[in-house]
Amino acid sequence: MNRLRLWLLAVGGAGLAALLVAACLDLPGFGGRHHPYGDRAVQASLARHTANTISSVNFDQRAYDTLGEMSILFAAVLGCVVLLRQARDEHRAPPEPAEVARPVRRYALLVLPVALVTGLYVVAHGQLSPGGGFQGGVVAATALHLLYLGADYGALERVRPLGVYETSDAVAVCAYLVLGLASVLAGTAFLANTLLPYGTFNTLSSGGAVPLLNAAVGMEVASAVVVLLAHFLDQAVEIEEEHGS
Amino acid sequence: MHHLIPLLVAVPLLGAALLVATGRFLPRIAAEITGVVVSGGTAALAVVLLLNSEPPMVEWVGGWLPVGGESVGILVVGDGPALGMATLVSLLTLSALAYSWRYFDEPPTGHTGAFTALMLVFQGAMCGFAIAGDLFNAFVFFELMSVVAYALTGYRIDEAKAVQGALTFGVVNSLGAYAMLMGIALLYARTGELAMTKIGRGLDATGHSGPDALVLASFVLVLTGLLVKAAAVPFHFWLPDAHAVAPTPVCMLLSGVMVELGAYGVWRVYGTVFAGPGGIPAADLTRALVTLGTLTAAVGAVMCWYQRHIKRLLAYSTVAHTGLFLVGLGVLTPEGDDGVALYIIGHAGVKAALFACAGVLLDRFGSVDEHALHGRARRLRATAVMFAVGALGLAGLPPFGTALGKAVTEEAVGGPLTVVFVAASAITAGAVLRVTARVFLGLGPRPEDAEYETSGSDEEPETSGLLSRIPDTMTTVPAVLLAAALAVGVVPGFGDLVAASVNEAGSGGAHVSVHWTLHGVLLGVASTVLAVALAGLAVTRPAWVSAPGWAAPLRRLQSGHVGDYVAWLLMGATVLGALALPGVLGS
Repeated sequence: MNRLRLWLLAVGGAGLAALLVAACLDLPGFGGRHHPYGDRAVQASLARHTANTISSVNFDQRAYDTLGEMSILFAAVLGCVVLLRQARDEHRAPPEPAEVARPVRRYALLVLPVALVTGLYVVAHGQLSPGGGFQGGVVAATALHLLYLGADYGALERVRPLGVYETSDAVAVCAYLVLGLASVLAGTAFLANTLLPYGTFNTLSSGGAVPLLNAAVGMEVASAVVVLLAHFLDQAVEIEEEHGS
Repeated sequence: MHHLIPLLVAVPLLGAALLVATGRFLPRIAAEITGVVVSGGTAALAVVLLLNSEPPMVEWVGGWLPVGGESVGILVVGDGPALGMATLVSLLTLSALAYSWRYFDEPPTGHTGAFTALMLVFQGAMCGFAIAGDLFNAFVFFELMSVVAYALTGYRIDEAKAVQGALTFGVVNSLGAYAMLMGIALLYARTGELAMTKIGRGLDATGHSGPDALVLASFVLVLTGLLVKAAAVPFHFWLPDAHAVAPTPVCMLLSGVMVELGAYGVWRVYGTVFAGPGGIPAADLTRALVTLGTLTAAVGAVMCWYQRHIKRLLAYSTVAHTGLFLVGLGVLTPEGDDGVALYIIGHAGVKAALFACAGVLLDRFGSVDEHALHGRARRLRATAVMFAVGALGLAGLPPFGTALGKAVTEEAVGGPLTVVFVAASAITAGAVLRVTARVFLGLGPRPEDAEYETSGSDEEPETSGLLSRIPDTMTTVPAVLLAAALAVGVVPGFGDLVAASVNEAGSGGAHVSVHWTLHGVLLGVASTVLAVALAGLAVTRPAWVSAPGWAAPLRRLQSGHVGDYVAWLLMGATVLGALALPGVLGS
């Protein structure tokens, strides 16, 4: 069987590699001037006063794709909650308080607020500068986990009521969907960015619904990452297999 | 009306999000009612949209209507096949939720609505894939339905087999998804477009001299993703491992409609993206799909026959039938498309009903092993009748919907390929009839155990403890599903309706009359007779039809080792490339 597997891998891999190399030779040259989609996307973004074109693509032009992507994260987190639950032959043990080196503790507690604010800033300025809900959400969520490095798991658990984060994850998805459905109720297309004024270009309130959808995604990602890490950390730190099983 | 099409995705997702948000406070019954109401509401919406899909609708999500023929938005399609698949998905989700009513073991603590929420996300994702008119958007929903399906497959974490099956499923399908994404990137590099119709036109505009290596590579990569989902040989290994361990209501959806969505995706993507002069020539597609489809049908049927784990047996019969669907789509005729559409609808009802009956066995006896259950289920008369009727539906006994679909497809493929259809449906149905005879009637001697088999005897029931009485929902749901499969073939004009809407979307409105023919009825009866004969032979003279020497290596290929499956996936992509190569070289 091992032999067969290696042969298959060799032949299949070589065939696919040859195909990909041949395809790459047919790709358009690097740095060309022809970008039909890019040109259209930038125009559409400027027309709706969104300074960051990527956010305009994510939360306006292709907001429906983003709905799918945030649902993937939502479903992945829900799936992990279900799969990483405590099995019948496992039990919970309170984690031991851990000794942390003084410099690590000082550094972590110092950086924590800075990282948290950075995350929120990146979310809030998604429509203006590089960044947005996905990136900022991850930064904000990881900031909280500096507490695990700087203090111990017990301290992290105290600032992290999981139920609240699970609910806010779901509420954020609801908010995104409700914003989309509002435009259907108003008689236009799902997720149409036509209800709110577009505001002044390059200010926080510009872009119509873009900042709102962006904030919903930021909230979803931050909560989802917290919940996800919590369940993996639980497996590593708290949940133990029963002895003798 | 067309503004409502994206709601097929939004409504189930909203339902799921609400269930998760309130899940910890809800009693279980409230969560289950919410699930049924939301999925039923979506099904009603899908039906209403489907009735209004003449002429076909399109919708630009976000209101980005094309200006001068160009748009930055996402297109969803509301034609007959798209909305038909969405309806099928929604109705099947509704029946799976009804089936699992009070059925599962206690839900995870603090997450009462988790299972229902996952099912609703699954429904939304499959609807989203069905209505996608944008290739990248199709990929997004392809991923979403995969992610939910992995979690649902591994739902019973206390069983090592479930976790292993979900992992295999996850690895193989994720690789398929990456292949598809890479293919989309190549197409985008060539055309600068993501909407399927625009990519197709872009390929035609740039490929005056026919397809080149880039088109071939993108075709192979996108089709690899879709064929992994459709479980075509040699991408099929994940399916039996996952379907054998997934909770029964999930199996109903996986086998009934998710796998078929892979075949639907092949039809949609080839017809819209690659069918033009700059795409893959028709002869090459036919060669690729008919070859892989025939192989899939053969492998699925043979493996199905030699299973004793009833859920694995049903899983392999799904493999065999998707092979038939691919052959039917591969011949690229309007009749072939229509036949496959009807076949898929009929098959969904029959296969979901069969899985539902297998679930009854699992929860009543804690086993789905044909040998261990020999004669033990004599008392379950209703389930026995439904299992046998399901087997006849699988064989294509007129007037089942499967029989009508099969007859139309057989006529379209013609010649020696008819033999594949008759044989595959007869062997899979024969295996199911054999199970009926042994398990429910206790006929024949108790079969002997062979080497290298997956037995199904040490399974955990999915309910809290073994059931002493089968709940009414678990009997009613399969009965309704079988009745629906029967109605597909019986209701006058239904076939013509399906054919008209499929052809309007696919083959430019070709007019095809779909009806029972003497030829088709005779072939259907022949498959059924063959199936009954095979089952009879297996029960009375087991030695005559026991696994021959050459079947053993075939079974050993299904090793359960993820590495093997990945190697086969690479091999499959290469074979697909080789099968489609002549068109590229010839141009």
